[in-house]
Amino acid sequence: MNKLHLECEWLDTGESLNLAELSRVCGMSSAELDELVEYGVLAPLNSNQPEPQFPAQCIPRLRTAGKLRRDYDLELFAVVILLDYLHRIETLEAQLRSLQARNTSSGRSET
Amino acid sequence: MKYKDYYATLGVARDADLEQIKKAYRKLARQYHPDVSKAADAEARFKDAAEAYATLKDPEKRAAYDELGRQPSGSEFSPPPQWRSDHASGFESFDNIDLADLLAAMGRRDGSARQGAMPVRGRDYEDTVHISLADAHRGTTLSLKLTDPEGEHTLEVSIPAGVTAGQRLRLRGKGGKGRHGGVDGDIYLRIELNPDPVFRVDRHDLYFDLALTPWEAALGAELEVPTLDGNVMLTVPAGTRSGRKLRLRGRGLASSRGPRGDLYATVRIDVPATLSERERKLYQELANISTFNPRAAFHKETSHEQAAP
Repeated sequence: MNKLHLECEWLDTGESLNLAELSRVCGMSSAELDELVEYGVLAPLNSNQPEPQFPAQCIPRLRTAGKLRRDYDLELFAVVILLDYLHRIETLEAQLRSLQARNTSSGRSET
Repeated sequence: MKYKDYYATLGVARDADLEQIKKAYRKLARQYHPDVSKAADAEARFKDAAEAYATLKDPEKRAAYDELGRQPSGSEFSPPPQWRSDHASGFESFDNIDLADLLAAMGRRDGSARQGAMPVRGRDYEDTVHISLADAHRGTTLSLKLTDPEGEHTLEVSIPAGVTAGQRLRLRGKGGKGRHGGVDGDIYLRIELNPDPVFRVDRHDLYFDLALTPWEAALGAELEVPTLDGNVMLTVPAGTRSGRKLRLRGRGLASSRGPRGDLYATVRIDVPATLSERERKLYQELANISTFNPRAAFHKETSHEQAAP
């Protein structure tokens, strides 16, 4: 068994990637990603540059939507709707986490 | 090569139109999708349906498949010579071939349907890893066990200090090996924190409950409280109300970008379940002399309502 030591890459606001790389990791073509940008569910960081960069944060959501699209043979527009809902779920999950932390545990569990 | 009855897999007639095939596939995909179904054979059923659909939705592949005729499902067969030269000229042997690979190769229109001529990207792996709060704060090394055709590998991944719950990370090129010049896949990890017996986590801020006696809350106190770096002294100001949050600045979780989070003690006032005779007397005396009314606002509203009509 060989061991390999690795440094990881965070998929958050600090990292970005170009269209070709995003297309590769999400399994969608550049033309399809362009269409998602047109629909307003995917936003490049620098829309006025010749080579747009995208925030790495959007990768998990795009991968999930792309996978559901392949699994159910959905149209690209369904991906647009999915991305909106996935974004909402992520936001709500973060809010829930935050509220659970702020609420006293006694207030939640006392019987 | 084993024959697979794709029509039977999807439960459609052999003359079903594309719309019926799509509908049947989506129904099965929803039923057996690994995200939805907990059945043991769900993933296999889902893959079978996807394989059948990949062929039947494509008119050219469906026609080639139909030309193979109808065989009992699972029976060994070999495509007739004409079929081979029409659809699979790149394949030399049909003994150890999966029908799905043969039909998948048909989609490649670069003239050579040769087995494996196309670069194939390695597969990606996705997983969730749970780490303790202390590890998130100080950073840690995860050992990931991966099993691929070449054997078992252990990847050691450094998680830097300051990771938060729900954060994702990518290990580029550490997924499945690409074939025929295809790039290697990636590994995607989602970090979750194990529940901690004391602290609750909101991004880089930590919360814990601080129980106070009524006199500590009223008079103020110097108390020893837990932090990730050991106990510290906390000054509770006189007149601290229940539910108030006392902040210990910079005592939260480390952050990879920016300053450390804060630690909040959420005050909860507790009373003894039973009182000694002396305690009861003192409380009674307090009750007699105190003019404090925590329900003053409530009484004001009530009288206002009474005066309104």
